[in-house]
Amino acid sequence: MSVASPINLILLSLFVVLVYYHFRPKQAISLPRGPPPVVFRTYTPKTLIEFNGENDRPVYLAVRGRVFDVSPGRNFYGPGGPYENFAGRDASRGLAHQSFDVEMLTDDLSAPLDGLKDLDADQLENLQSWEDRFSEKYLVVGKLVAEGDPEAPKS
Amino acid sequence: MADQASLIEQVDAALSNVLADWNIYSTLFAGLLGAFALYSLFSSRDPDVHPFLLARQSTASPIRNSGESATYRCLETPYGFPLRSGLNVKDPGTPKYTAGRRGDLRDIWKAAVRGSLNPDGSASGKQGKIFTVLGKNSIEHSLSQLTQEMNVVGKELQKSDAKTVAVCLTDSVELLASIFAGSFYGYKTVIVPHNLPAETLSAHLLACKADALIAEAGSLDLSIVAKGNKQLDLVIWVAKYGNRHMDWHEVPEEVKGTLNALVWHELVEEHKDLAGMDVPEYDPTTPAPAVNTVWPSSSTSGRFIDFQSENLIAALAALGSALPRNQRFTPSDLVLSIDSLSRSYPLLQIMNALYSNASIALNSVAGENVDFALATLGISPTVIIASSQTMADYHERVMKPHTGPISSLGRWVQARTLDGGNMPSKNILSQISRVGPTAELSLNDLRLLCISHRVDADPSVRLTSEQLTELRIFTDARIVYALTGPGIAGAISQTNIFDYRCLSGLAHFGAPLSCTEITLTNVSENGGSDDLPEGQLTVAGPAVVDGKTTLPTRVRISNDNTVELI
Repeated sequence: MSVASPINLILLSLFVVLVYYHFRPKQAISLPRGPPPVVFRTYTPKTLIEFNGENDRPVYLAVRGRVFDVSPGRNFYGPGGPYENFAGRDASRGLAHQSFDVEMLTDDLSAPLDGLKDLDADQLENLQSWEDRFSEKYLVVGKLVAEGDPEAPKS
Repeated sequence: MADQASLIEQVDAALSNVLADWNIYSTLFAGLLGAFALYSLFSSRDPDVHPFLLARQSTASPIRNSGESATYRCLETPYGFPLRSGLNVKDPGTPKYTAGRRGDLRDIWKAAVRGSLNPDGSASGKQGKIFTVLGKNSIEHSLSQLTQEMNVVGKELQKSDAKTVAVCLTDSVELLASIFAGSFYGYKTVIVPHNLPAETLSAHLLACKADALIAEAGSLDLSIVAKGNKQLDLVIWVAKYGNRHMDWHEVPEEVKGTLNALVWHELVEEHKDLAGMDVPEYDPTTPAPAVNTVWPSSSTSGRFIDFQSENLIAALAALGSALPRNQRFTPSDLVLSIDSLSRSYPLLQIMNALYSNASIALNSVAGENVDFALATLGISPTVIIASSQTMADYHERVMKPHTGPISSLGRWVQARTLDGGNMPSKNILSQISRVGPTAELSLNDLRLLCISHRVDADPSVRLTSEQLTELRIFTDARIVYALTGPGIAGAISQTNIFDYRCLSGLAHFGAPLSCTEITLTNVSENGGSDDLPEGQLTVAGPAVVDGKTTLPTRVRISNDNTVELI
């Protein structure tokens, strides 16, 4: 009768392993960090045009001075999509007229922003409903001001 | 084939050799092994909360301003949802589908007097109790009796046309009654900390233009206060049991005729038949008056925080909802505050207890730095509200020196359970481990410790993660640890009640409450994307006076999206 027989050693080491697994310090779980937040910026038509979705850049469009990040809807607003003309542009007039033609955009990027003074009540309502939909679905990532506006960032 | 057979034979022989040595010790070891395996199997429980919820405790907004961090909010009210702004009170008789009211302090008192509700929504008529702890004894008060006192004093103040009433009392039922009387009888309450020198008090009264003062009889020199405050025309003295026989009506010569002195218990005695014990009727659409408190700051004697009723109610609702459903205050709870009610966190937790129909206990010595053992002597509470200074002091002075080797072993085993995400259950081991450190405490029913830390308090009283773990083990209570700041009702942020993780260094302060959102300002834009955001603490939301405030403190948002002071 001895304590230090092989069978006893085996049983004892099994016991020690079990105790270790029961009491071993547990590593706290950490989740990977989310994407860094986008910085809210002030855009002018000239800086906004870069965000037209080409070369995998994000797709932005502006409605009445608010810049929306519509990258999740790249298939519609990005290159090749039905609304691709709006990418990187002020889309207010086009949305109000329910038209996606190039004529709806302000050609001259240095010009003041489209005042939309000539729209009728139906068109304004149309625009409002688009804007509401965008606010629901997409993130506002900045505001659009005309070139030369006091708020415009100095280049 | 033969080789294989011999191999098996060899193994077989070796096995039988080993087994041949089986003796009484082997049986013993095998028994131990089996018993521990069974224990390990049956003692394993699911953690109290899913570990992922602790790994990311608040949500960050997807957008930020330049020079600022993202805005952090609790998981309850993420970005894009409205912050919690009220109690959602549903008046009887309103249709079920309507949204509830935000509520105000009057609804809290009404709910407390109504008593707890049965599961079907009918009143059971069981009110919570209010205790005053005096040393080893406690005195019980009934809520209806307190309503009566509130009515008497409220009517008296209304009669003297008081607009702003300063209340300078120790934590007592009279203090509570004065605050609630203010909400029913339409005067602004200013809670001034007690034990201030008469000059400071006088300056405070002048600053808030108080036209009435409720103070403890004999605690201050009226001539100094009256000289500096011409607008003051009524003083109500609260006399302690021992000195009620004295005549407190005397006022200094120079203000005779303009200043009137009354005594609380005489007033109540005189008018109690007229006042009635019912909660006064009120129109919930009228706004409830503000409650001001004084935030102690080191430079001067303090600054006034002008809490509107909306701020308080939002914070109260958020403090209530910050606890998971099965941990909230219930009618069977007894909530003891050993931190002064002139601070908004203890005040709102006590009101939260009243609203949940729990019993409450007040201690006249309550304050930021009290002896934990002495303050909890006369009563056996289930919830204690204390300051970080009190707890840090008690841990340092009593618990740590009294932790012997046995306590340490028990502590170590229980810390493993906490690491696994479970609160250790009461057993022999836990009893042994806490005999030393908690010898002078009588906290058998304690289940929750609410600890608050002032953002500008002495950094040495900030608790470490390890201290919180030890407090959990030794008091056998869960802990919420809140960060409070000037201008924010209740707390800025509070830890998850199930967050038992023992991290290194100073403890974090959890996620923002559902009535606040945190943005860091003055954030450096030069850091890499892996750096933790670090900057000045800006708090916004319905619990914040004027909607938004920036504190001079710098904080960090750590990897699990909790707030850390730097």
